[in-house]
Amino acid sequence: MSELIKMKGVTKVYSLGETEVHALRGVDVKIKKGEFISIIGPSGSGKSTLMHIIGCLDRATSGSYFLQGKDVNEMDENQLADIRKEFIGFIFQDFYLLPDVPAWYNVSLPMIYDRIPPKERKKKAVSILNSVGLGDRVNHLPNQLSGGERQRVAIARSLANEPEIIIADEPTGNLDSVRGEEILKILSELHKEGKTIIIVSHEKYVAERGKRKIHLKDGMVEGKG
Amino acid sequence: MFRGFLIEILRSAVESIKANKLRSLLTTLGIVIGVMTVIGVMSVISGYKQYIANSFSQLGANVLYVSKYPWGFGMSREEFKKIQKRENIGLREAEALKEYGTSFKYVSPSILRNMKMERGDKEAEEVQIEGASEDFSRITNRNVSLGRFLSKDDIVYNRYVCVLGQDVVNTLFTEENPIGKKVKIQGRQFNVIGIMAEKGKMMGQSMDNTAFIPYTTMTTFTGKRSTINIAVYAEEGEETREEIRWILRGVRDLKPDEEDDFSINSSEALISQFNQLTSTFIIISIAIAAISLVVGGIGIMNIMLVSVSERTREIGVRKAIGAKSGEILGQFLMESVVICLVGGIIGIFLGASITKLISIVSSGILFHIPIWSIFLGFGFCFSIGVFFGYYPARKASKLSPVEALRYE
Repeated sequence: MSELIKMKGVTKVYSLGETEVHALRGVDVKIKKGEFISIIGPSGSGKSTLMHIIGCLDRATSGSYFLQGKDVNEMDENQLADIRKEFIGFIFQDFYLLPDVPAWYNVSLPMIYDRIPPKERKKKAVSILNSVGLGDRVNHLPNQLSGGERQRVAIARSLANEPEIIIADEPTGNLDSVRGEEILKILSELHKEGKTIIIVSHEKYVAERGKRKIHLKDGMVEGKG
Repeated sequence: MFRGFLIEILRSAVESIKANKLRSLLTTLGIVIGVMTVIGVMSVISGYKQYIANSFSQLGANVLYVSKYPWGFGMSREEFKKIQKRENIGLREAEALKEYGTSFKYVSPSILRNMKMERGDKEAEEVQIEGASEDFSRITNRNVSLGRFLSKDDIVYNRYVCVLGQDVVNTLFTEENPIGKKVKIQGRQFNVIGIMAEKGKMMGQSMDNTAFIPYTTMTTFTGKRSTINIAVYAEEGEETREEIRWILRGVRDLKPDEEDDFSINSSEALISQFNQLTSTFIIISIAIAAISLVVGGIGIMNIMLVSVSERTREIGVRKAIGAKSGEILGQFLMESVVICLVGGIIGIFLGASITKLISIVSSGILFHIPIWSIFLGFGFCFSIGVFFGYYPARKASKLSPVEALRYE
């Protein structure tokens, strides 16, 4: 399997006024295509920061990051946006759905930026919603859906542009264990279909799903990265 | 493809405005007032302009009117009092002009009175009767449709003859040919010698409720001392005006250091005076509009800043799923432009309604909205939307995705 993600010596420093916060202190990560990875660690360990950098939402302060052999540090803002649009699908703890538009429109959002024609967008959004078991919730607004359903809409949205990598940040954090289990099941299925899955969590049972775990502590990888 | 994106951000702009109806409406108020002012004032002024132009074109182009009073606006009390003291213009002046004029041929006194005309038991009220000379039809370019106009002999011999306007004919005669029949003015019998060609209505008022009689005959009603107007057909423009001036100064015995004690009026001069006056109004209204548009624009900027900060999370999500900075910028810019254009549409609508209302109240004057003022209004709204929306939109587009997502 080819190397999808290759990070070496990645650091991230935030300056909060006078003090500097070292969120990452030299992280090496290699992820192959089709892997199912859990990034685990206590809060403050830098796992969210790492996730943001992997997901091209943020830049490393130093260190190298190659995504599919391309140097991410060399890319400008627009190129990073293109990477997020085409390669990466995000799932967030708080779902982050737009509240005023129906489920299908939320799912179709990434396709807008990919310039897919409106009719095609809706058709595709509906079919993805079907695949996550929400075929009968297409026209519901987010506040008419349960937490589990909202997270499934968010998963559907992350799949809209058929990304290579799906990054889930505490995807079950706001759900009870039954709903959480459903979400994890969907992610496992996506892994079976060949997607690269990266779950960030501090919960053991969630992290156990990963075929390989990256333990973070104090901004460094514990053991083998 | 790009068009699809435009439609999408338009749609999202409309959604977001709909989600905050009251707020958006209040925001547009400045824009609404600005556009309303422009449209309203422009319509009323252009309506009046046309009205004035039409009214005075009745008097004929190239016609100079010699009168005691100047035509126009904005005379002070002192000026008016001074002018009141001028010696009346009389037939003496008209006759002098006729006799000595070289750059012009046609001269006619114009003595107007509204009087009743009768025939048997039929009456025509408030007929505008004009004492004129045989030149009058040439000066004003009005012709008879039947019979003849006044002749020199009619004038010289004070004949009791009249030429009727079509309305008077319709009121006093039924089927028969009026030529040669008799009508009564102020108890005097007049022979009908001709009928004027119909002129129709102008601004709701009939131009055919008239009759012409020899000015010499007219003076038996009005006396010889009241002031009259003298119409001159000015073939040579300024040269004619100067010549009239010198003849009148001679007739009225003015010394070289004395001012003219008469006025030479023309419809062109009056129209241009009116235009000058209205251009002041236009400038004032544009200033009012500009102020309210700028205030409105600042309101738009304010509300867009609020909107950006309220939707920081949304901006983060959009960026996370692949929106470029330019696309976020476009989305918020579109929103402020749409708000401004909605304000513009409301403003145009209100301006048009006010115009319509004034039209109804002022019965007769037709106000229309000049097309260019609509384009001007829209253009302004668009520019304000872009200008005042740019800063908030740029702020939105520059947000870092991570910080935007973390925003509580």
